[in-house]
Amino acid sequence: MQFLQAVIIGLLIGGVYALMASGLTLIFGVLRVINIAHGALLVLAATMTWLLWRETGVDPILAAVATTPVMLGLGWLIHRGVITRLPQGSPAMTVLATFGLALIIEGVLNVTVGNIFRSATPDYFAQSFRVGGLALPKPHVYGFAAAVVVLGGLYLVLTRTWTGRAIRATAQNPAGAALVGVSGAGTAALAFAIGTATTGVGGSVLSVLYPFYPASHYDWIARLLGIIVLGGLGSLPGALVGAVVLGLAETLTATYGSLQWSTLVFYIVIMVVLLVRPQGLFGTRLREDALA
Amino acid sequence: MAALRTRTRTSVLPRTAAALTATVLLATACGTPPSEQGADSGRPITIGMSLPLTGDFSQPGREAKRGYEIWRDMVNAKGGLLGRKVQLRITDDASNQDTVVADYTRLITQEKVDLVLGTFSSLLNYAASAVAEKNKMLYVEPAGGAENIFNRGFQYLFYAQPATASHQADVFVEWIDSLPPDQRPKTAAFPTQDDPFTRPVIETMQRELEKRGVKTVYETVYPPDTTNFQTIAGAMADKKPDLIAQGAVFEDGVGLVRSLKQLDYNPKLLFQVSAPSNSFQYAKGVGEKNTEGVFYTVSWNERAKTPLNAEFVAEYGKRFDGATPAEDAADAFAAGQVLQAAVQGVGKLDQKAMADWLRSHSVQTILGPLRWDKRGAPQAKFVLAQWQNGRVEIIAPKDRATTTRVVNPKPDWQ
Repeated sequence: MQFLQAVIIGLLIGGVYALMASGLTLIFGVLRVINIAHGALLVLAATMTWLLWRETGVDPILAAVATTPVMLGLGWLIHRGVITRLPQGSPAMTVLATFGLALIIEGVLNVTVGNIFRSATPDYFAQSFRVGGLALPKPHVYGFAAAVVVLGGLYLVLTRTWTGRAIRATAQNPAGAALVGVSGAGTAALAFAIGTATTGVGGSVLSVLYPFYPASHYDWIARLLGIIVLGGLGSLPGALVGAVVLGLAETLTATYGSLQWSTLVFYIVIMVVLLVRPQGLFGTRLREDALA
Repeated sequence: MAALRTRTRTSVLPRTAAALTATVLLATACGTPPSEQGADSGRPITIGMSLPLTGDFSQPGREAKRGYEIWRDMVNAKGGLLGRKVQLRITDDASNQDTVVADYTRLITQEKVDLVLGTFSSLLNYAASAVAEKNKMLYVEPAGGAENIFNRGFQYLFYAQPATASHQADVFVEWIDSLPPDQRPKTAAFPTQDDPFTRPVIETMQRELEKRGVKTVYETVYPPDTTNFQTIAGAMADKKPDLIAQGAVFEDGVGLVRSLKQLDYNPKLLFQVSAPSNSFQYAKGVGEKNTEGVFYTVSWNERAKTPLNAEFVAEYGKRFDGATPAEDAADAFAAGQVLQAAVQGVGKLDQKAMADWLRSHSVQTILGPLRWDKRGAPQAKFVLAQWQNGRVEIIAPKDRATTTRVVNPKPDWQ
């Protein structure tokens, strides 16, 4: 029973982590940009959610309906205003620029809404569903449901629509995609905007599950980068698997050992995977790798 | 100066690029002669400090800044220090240990501030106090109660809170001793964050309670980035301890209360180290009704009848929309008071004489009277606080108590 409880909580947490990591991996897949500002965008969305919840009383997770379009627009603006102005194919520059962006977001939040811990606490925030002898925390269940909707939606868009195929084509082979008429710049902007939009839902779930403050983004970006490196940079299923591995590593090591080991266990798993499969669990080798 | 530079370089600098910059600055500073004390009487006294205004410790850092500034203005309103105006030179170390070293080095050796005051968190004070010690500058710190800070044989370091981390919960253990034997907890669980400040609090409490026959049924140390507490809460619910004492910084305190409630386990006594002292953020995070009966210990209370406390609280409220000062702001204010007492006690800015003076005198602050042992570790007591009806009451020691009522056992979660 203890084992089952740990596994279920681990899966629920993993689902939420996957939701938060999905945009980061999508953006890397198409643009080869490691968006260090992803964590700060999550915290920004969480703050907007919290404000909406406090002012209107709307359910914080449902508030994502309002924050997602805002994040979509913000993502497009960031791509237009920052990413396209950087030298192409310079990972150092994009990492620096997006890190700068993260600091700007943190600073703006500090000045505007203030440097304090917040969390949205709707009625159910500390309640559980009881199934048999198991306790399923309600906010985690709702967060997991939101993750399924977003990840399922992303999967359908990427596999069933022309736009989605264009995004995947650009991710796999930009030159080839251009040859068959896919606009590289347009697709990249769209992918960046969609990737950022996922922080709308991710942030709303974050606001209910965890207390946050403007500098929380450092913890989140570290965790999310670990997840997508494990799963394979740029792979959506990879992010899902990486997130579930992290969730389970947390709950199982806490149950059968000590939480002190959970971070270590997760990074040992990453090390082993990278030694055996340098591209991550689901990553595809780049053409340059194949030649080498 | 040359000797100083070598010493600095060998012991601190090889590690970091940031600090390397400090060497360059230091080298440039070498041509200037040190300022002459006698010719300074009209000039303001400049007090340098580097605070974590951004990054992980930005919350306490910003509160400390407020506390220091209110102290400065209150001192200046009464004519300053030694007849000279006080001005603060504050830099931001971004919660980074390397930056704090570079900052204090620059403030002391390049900008030649007259005095320094300490920064926030044990992590930053550990590094910053070493810079002050090397330069023989009195270092009064408003935070940094980890035991290892005081075991380095420093002569210029003084901690301006009532007790070091390992003795912070003594007052809670004494309160348990005061209960009739049948009301004392029989079993206890001790989860703590792996934090240099909260962990010693819990470890000492565990040792003391075990000596008194309380059985430890669960203990665990979790890393600072832990966000999910359902497994810890679940493991504790299985063991059903009478007392849960958590080494909580903040989010982890909120996270554990939520998880305990989600699993519907309610201990008879709940003690958390720092989290419950962040009053309204804590109450909002766990839900106000769930704060009822939670214990913690704290260095200061806004209703304490200590000299100047009411003035400090009123001034803080006036400046910040009627807000109540955070404990960190009060601690910074008290650090200012300690420095002020040392300067006035000695009558001139003699760093060594001021340190000697503090070792042999007691100083009245808004936290109560403080005195120190030869390591600069304080020898007074924290107060035991409890959440009652949505506000904080002090229940021990008796001379600082705000109520005689104690909520025991803790009511069910709401």
